[in-house]
Amino acid sequence: MLKVEHLTKVYGTGTVALQDVSFEVEDGEFLVIIGLSGSGKSTLLRSINRLIEPTEGRILWNDVDITALDEAGLRRIRREIGFVFQEFNLVERLPVLTNVLTGRLGYVPPWWSLFYYFPAQDRRRALDALEQVGLADRAHHRASELSGGQKQRVGIARALVQNPKMLLADEPVASLDPVLAHSIMGYLERLNQERGITILCSLHYLDLVQRYATRVIGLRNGRLVFEGTGDDIRHMTDEEFKQIYGEEAQRLGG
Amino acid sequence: MRIGKRLLAAVLSLLVPGLGHLLVGRVRRGLYIALGTGVLAGLTVFTAAQRARFPEEVYGLSAQVLLRLGLMAAFVWAALWLVYGALGRAVLRADAEAAELMAQLYTPGFVALGVLFFSLAGPRLLQTVLPADGERLLYGTILLIMGVLLALLWWWAARDAWQTAADAEPGWGGFIALVLVGTLVLGTRIVGIDLPKAIREYRETERILGDIFWPWRAAFDYEATELRATALVQAPCPPDATPPPVNQPQEGQPWVVVEPTCGDLSVRDSKGKLQYGTLLHIRGGGFVPGKIVKIKWENPIGNEFTPRGLGPTEIEVGPDGTFESELYIPDVVIPSFAQGPQIHKLHAVQPGALRFTGQLSREMKLALQAMLESIMIGLMATFTGMLWAVPLSFLAARNLTFTLRTSPQGLVGGVLGLVLGGAVGLQAAGRIADALGGLDAAPVSTAIVHFVLVTGAAVLGFRWLSRGLDALTQRMPPLVTDAVRYIGFALIGAALGWPLGLGYAHGILGIAWDPRDAAAIAPTLARVGAGLGALAWLGLARRWGQQGVVPIGQWIYTITRTILNVVRSIEPLIWGLVGVIWVGLGPFAGFIALTIHTVAALGKLYSEAIESIHPGPIEAVQSTGANRLQTIMFAVLPQVLPHFTAYSLYRWDINVRMSTVIGLVGGGGIGFLLIQWIRQVQYEHAGLAVWLIALTVSTLDFVSATIRKKIV
Ligand SMILES: Nc1ncnc2c1ncn2[C@@H]1O[C@H](COP(=O)(O)OP(=O)(O)OP(=O)(O)O)[C@@H](O)[C@H]1O
Ligand SMILES: [Mg+2]
Repeated sequence: MLKVEHLTKVYGTGTVALQDVSFEVEDGEFLVIIGLSGSGKSTLLRSINRLIEPTEGRILWNDVDITALDEAGLRRIRREIGFVFQEFNLVERLPVLTNVLTGRLGYVPPWWSLFYYFPAQDRRRALDALEQVGLADRAHHRASELSGGQKQRVGIARALVQNPKMLLADEPVASLDPVLAHSIMGYLERLNQERGITILCSLHYLDLVQRYATRVIGLRNGRLVFEGTGDDIRHMTDEEFKQIYGEEAQRLGG
Repeated sequence: MRIGKRLLAAVLSLLVPGLGHLLVGRVRRGLYIALGTGVLAGLTVFTAAQRARFPEEVYGLSAQVLLRLGLMAAFVWAALWLVYGALGRAVLRADAEAAELMAQLYTPGFVALGVLFFSLAGPRLLQTVLPADGERLLYGTILLIMGVLLALLWWWAARDAWQTAADAEPGWGGFIALVLVGTLVLGTRIVGIDLPKAIREYRETERILGDIFWPWRAAFDYEATELRATALVQAPCPPDATPPPVNQPQEGQPWVVVEPTCGDLSVRDSKGKLQYGTLLHIRGGGFVPGKIVKIKWENPIGNEFTPRGLGPTEIEVGPDGTFESELYIPDVVIPSFAQGPQIHKLHAVQPGALRFTGQLSREMKLALQAMLESIMIGLMATFTGMLWAVPLSFLAARNLTFTLRTSPQGLVGGVLGLVLGGAVGLQAAGRIADALGGLDAAPVSTAIVHFVLVTGAAVLGFRWLSRGLDALTQRMPPLVTDAVRYIGFALIGAALGWPLGLGYAHGILGIAWDPRDAAAIAPTLARVGAGLGALAWLGLARRWGQQGVVPIGQWIYTITRTILNVVRSIEPLIWGLVGVIWVGLGPFAGFIALTIHTVAALGKLYSEAIESIHPGPIEAVQSTGANRLQTIMFAVLPQVLPHFTAYSLYRWDINVRMSTVIGLVGGGGIGFLLIQWIRQVQYEHAGLAVWLIALTVSTLDFVSATIRKKIV
């Protein structure tokens, strides 16, 4: 279970990106975070695995305070939490397989990396993950040679080999076309339902939110302004939705 | 604005340009005017003083001149600071922007005052500030022009103050034009530009330039096919001597017959007038008809020369291959140890065609060897430089280093660990190296063992003790934590302050003081330095104790960058001098020089490449739980490797170019040959070296550019 308590983030520039945000996520939930551009979605997700240092507040993950961890502890926690990025963030010059293998870095002794060495078992695991996202035949291509949708599938495979208990996805489909968006969201849904991985995902498209969320929270100017179940959202009219989300809300079909 | 104030402003600016502007609140404008006018006036005075000092217009930059220049600059700064700081503050209390500008002026002003103060500390230095007796300033045309220009500038400043006082916004055109013209006029004088001289003396240079531009005859060996016949002559000719026999003409080969074969030398008397010796009759044959035969004389110790003013020395051979001529025996200076009759030789020489042998000349071979040496110096320096630059560049990259932080207690532990680890590593390395046979028997392993053990132990020591002390103090009551922090910081501060105190005593006071006095006060100053350092760091301990984190990443970044920048801004040629002093003449010195410069240059380029990579992959890899090393290996290196390769190639090409020059200061390679040949006036050989350098450098330039284009 993930508990976020009174989370506040003030950037060095003085921007208050999150203000006193508290919520809880049960294991196995598919939580969607909605909010206008600049409302603090990315900041929230990145605070959870401390890519960003929160200014105040606590984040409890199975009763461990993530905000208080030292380097070694953080490393152990991070390997249990996958992260999928809007811009994929693959290392373009490395082969697809190596990109997926980086998901194992939290488990192998650091000095192995001097030789780019991974045990055979990890390599098999990485190939399996690629198989699951349908990219086994691309394993030895450079990541830069893939299309956007393929890159995001590699991103998911990378998170998968971490063997994560939770997956954070920051607008995973925002740079993809509608068909691809559904296929990627489908992967996330399968992980959620078949493996019971908790998913926290920020989304822009209204119908994706309605289709996939089991629970939804809404942010506005860094404050939590909405909390509800997936059903709440599904029964909302577009007008109500726009009240939380703002005029930018849109349907995938346009 | 009232006319009185405008007038006052104009008059003030006429006294000190820009002062009037201050009165009417135009500080910035006034400052620019003061600076421009001041610099130009200073340069004029300097030029005038130079002319007085060096009437033959030799502009040497002696230490004294430099010192004087520095003092003059310091004085101008100090004056500006005083005037603008004190007056401006009183006049312009309200103008916030102006006040800020003033604050910016304070710092350099302070430095300037400090410099002034220290230089006044020594009476010897004081002397150099004041011109010696009887020195007059010589005013030439240039100074006249400068006088007019400066007068115009002063007038412009006054007029400008008058106008700005009325809230007008006059342009800068006149000011810029005056300053520019003044600078150019002075520049002509200082650089010593002399167009007529350049044109007059070009003709004499042509032949030499020809040798340098097309030196390729000197690259090969030629065989001379000359015809030569020799006759022996004895001098002087005492009655009892037996002169050499008279030659007989011989068929089928060149011959020369000289009669008599015995005679007296010509003599040059004390007035330098020549008294002829015996006249020789010369007949020769067997030479190529129609061509010239040259007569040469060879003295008893084997020196051959052309005898001048004693008879024809170039005779045309007749159609049958013979010639006849006459020659007085030359005045040959006989070494004093040679007594009695000596045998001289007369040669009849007919130079023939030079035959191209196809062999490279000795000089060409030397030049090729030296060129190879240069290329290797460049290669080795680039490679070694890369090895050092890569790790340094990681420290000098903002995006990697700034994330390094520690708690104050961690810093205390870390410094302790660094020192302890380093000491332990040094000890261990020393033992192991001794066991291996020491520096001379096993230099490479000794170096590697030292490097690995000392840096490894220091780094591990830093890590372990930093974390250890941090973890330990977290479990202790706050009092203990505070104590550790304050004591630790005080010790660090003292350790840093101690050498500063010593350095101040020897390095700064030692300049003006008697070195013995400086040495005597050194221990006291070291203690004072340590005390001040400890105090300062106690302050830091308080501040960081509240914040809880020490940005050591920023320090590491700043320190690394500063060192890289300083080292890089010193030219390789100067490092070459250091290398030569260190290990003596030769390629090793050049290698050291280029390596040092390469580390700094590549370190900067590499670190900038690192700073410009996409942060996304770094975050992605970090979020999988990767530590720093793994992040570098998987997210940073793949992104920067192409840039690193390109920069290294680029540097190799620079290094080969530099290594051809580094020889000029004794760093081995082709530059060394080049400067030798130039000094020996062997311009043709120098030309060979220049050509080889040009060919090599342009080839490398092309190759490295091509490869680089492929990579990036
Ligand atoms: N590194 C940063 N430094 C300073 N301010 C930042 C930084 N990152 C984000 N911000 C600010 O914090 C606020 C929240 O940004 P955040 O990226 O979390 O929004 P978001 O909801 O993810 O927006 P989007 O939907 O456009 O991705 C914004 O006002 C943004 O300008
Ligand atoms: Mg975002």
